Amino acid sequence: MPQKYVLKLYTVESCSTGVLALRNLKEIISQESKTVFQLEVIDVRKNPQMAEDDKILAIPTLIKKLPPPIKKIIGDLSDKEKLLLDLDLIPQNKNNDVRVRRLQ
Amino acid sequence: MTANVKSISEKTKSADNFLPVRGGVEKNPTGIPGFDSILEGGIPKGRAFLITGSTGTGKTVFANEFLYRGITKYNEHGVYVTFEEQPGDIIKNVRNFGWDFDILIKQKKLVFVDASPDRIPIEESGKYDLSGLVERIKYAVRKVKAKRVSVDAMSMFFSRFSNKDAIRDVIYRLCDELKNLGVTSFLTAEKAGDIGSSLSRYGVEEYVVNGVVELYLESGQQQFIRKMFIKKIRGVGYRSGMVEYDISNRGINVFPKITINPQISRTEFKNRERFGIKGVDEAMGGGIPQGHIVLITGNTGTGKTMFGMHFIDQGIRDGQNAIYIALEEPVAQVKKTAGEFGFEYSKYEKEGKLVFVAPSLIDMRNDDVLNELLNVVKRINAKRVVIDSISSMMSATMNEESVRQFLIQATRFFKSKGIACVMNFLSGTNFGAAKGQLLATNETSLMRLSSIVDGIILLLYVERGQRVKRILNILKMRGSWHSNEIFQYEINGKGIKFGERYEE
Repeated sequence: MPQKYVLKLYTVESCSTGVLALRNLKEIISQESKTVFQLEVIDVRKNPQMAEDDKILAIPTLIKKLPPPIKKIIGDLSDKEKLLLDLDLIPQNKNNDVRVRRLQ
Repeated sequence: MTANVKSISEKTKSADNFLPVRGGVEKNPTGIPGFDSILEGGIPKGRAFLITGSTGTGKTVFANEFLYRGITKYNEHGVYVTFEEQPGDIIKNVRNFGWDFDILIKQKKLVFVDASPDRIPIEESGKYDLSGLVERIKYAVRKVKAKRVSVDAMSMFFSRFSNKDAIRDVIYRLCDELKNLGVTSFLTAEKAGDIGSSLSRYGVEEYVVNGVVELYLESGQQQFIRKMFIKKIRGVGYRSGMVEYDISNRGINVFPKITINPQISRTEFKNRERFGIKGVDEAMGGGIPQGHIVLITGNTGTGKTMFGMHFIDQGIRDGQNAIYIALEEPVAQVKKTAGEFGFEYSKYEKEGKLVFVAPSLIDMRNDDVLNELLNVVKRINAKRVVIDSISSMMSATMNEESVRQFLIQATRFFKSKGIACVMNFLSGTNFGAAKGQLLATNETSLMRLSSIVDGIILLLYVERGQRVKRILNILKMRGSWHSNEIFQYEINGKGIKFGERYEE
């Protein structure tokens, strides 16, 4: 049974960091073959009430609804290792290795 | 003809109390009591206004009241952007002021943009801006057709993001977007120590907002005294200087300094206000000139209060209403004492001819007292005022300078209304003056008061031939003849009895 991810990406139309974040996210999704991703891209201008309910401040904002814990990641997601870490896609032991490497 | 006279008197009436509004920017009244009068009408319409201050100054209450008054007084709907407290807590808090935000939300007159700290962990990963917030505020403004936006508190928000450029950008954009939406916005920010407000740390305050008010807390004897200060308002007039404010269970109350047109003085030398003490009035050429401020100074027991009581009594007998500012004794005691000497103060009070003003002796708020005076004068058209005494006012405020300011304001106001004022001042050094040097010793504080007052009546004790005698001299009476003699006087069952010229 593959793990299921529910993601929401809040952006604004023709926002360069938003476009970049979506591209980076799609790249990771295509690489993670063992995981099922459900991604919803939301334009804040078109769906302001959703942004209100999710308390969105920064653009772009990625919300990991599932699996728990819920997490918000803001920014263009250009650091792929950090993104994998933030999405808990790197296992715990490897996780530590990445941290050590990042500190160096 | 009568109509003409009336319209002129109405014109001068308003000219007395208000200076004209300068500049062309339209004002939006906040509806906060007293605040609009120091802002000469309100905050600039369609612009952003910033209020800063340290913790406990009441910034949030200002933000709340700005919206509440807007909706309830002016039917201007509001958006509340909260970076600090959660909407539920705010709604609960303002119930203490009697403001029901729940109903306003149901009526679609008020809406929250909840930007309070998130319980969900946030990771920063690469570049971002804060346009999500801007879009939400724009949406909220459209949703309730808002005319007002309160943002509380900007500074809390800044500490949550590491990207300072994004913060600077959002302040600019937010103020710009709010301006484009045509709403008047009220921003609050914590003032960080002496460095200046948190906003100026980002170098935007001066450029983005159109007005800044700073709130202060000063420690009084028993409680904090709240003061505010308008730092700037672009393109419009306002009254400069510190003013006091208060937060009660009904919200904020700002005590504006009364503005008086210094051009207007209703001093009239032909009209004399009598004490009704035979001899004293004659020694001043018939009494105190109308609109004059006279200081009666003397040691304890010289009869300063008595002179004041005579002055009020005679005034009311002459058909002039009066105000007695009682700082020395409780009002009930003043009335009783007056009664002992045959002055019917209780009766005068019942008839509405005499009004007592009894400010709190601890942490007296000058502006508060001034405003009360203003209202009473308006209500009963008072022509005489007695302040008993300046010395207790000094010990009440523990601040000679603030008393001086109070006196300058009060006396200017009295002059503009042609009110004659007698104020008492306890002077401890005028006892047992040496032979031939009766008036040699005067306190420096008395000398500082001298420029404010038009007249000084000096009461002294002298010890001569195993007896203490009371003597008086009219030291000064601007623009009027007065006797230079030193007179003896007594206090008997009917009050002051004026005596012979004193000779050694």
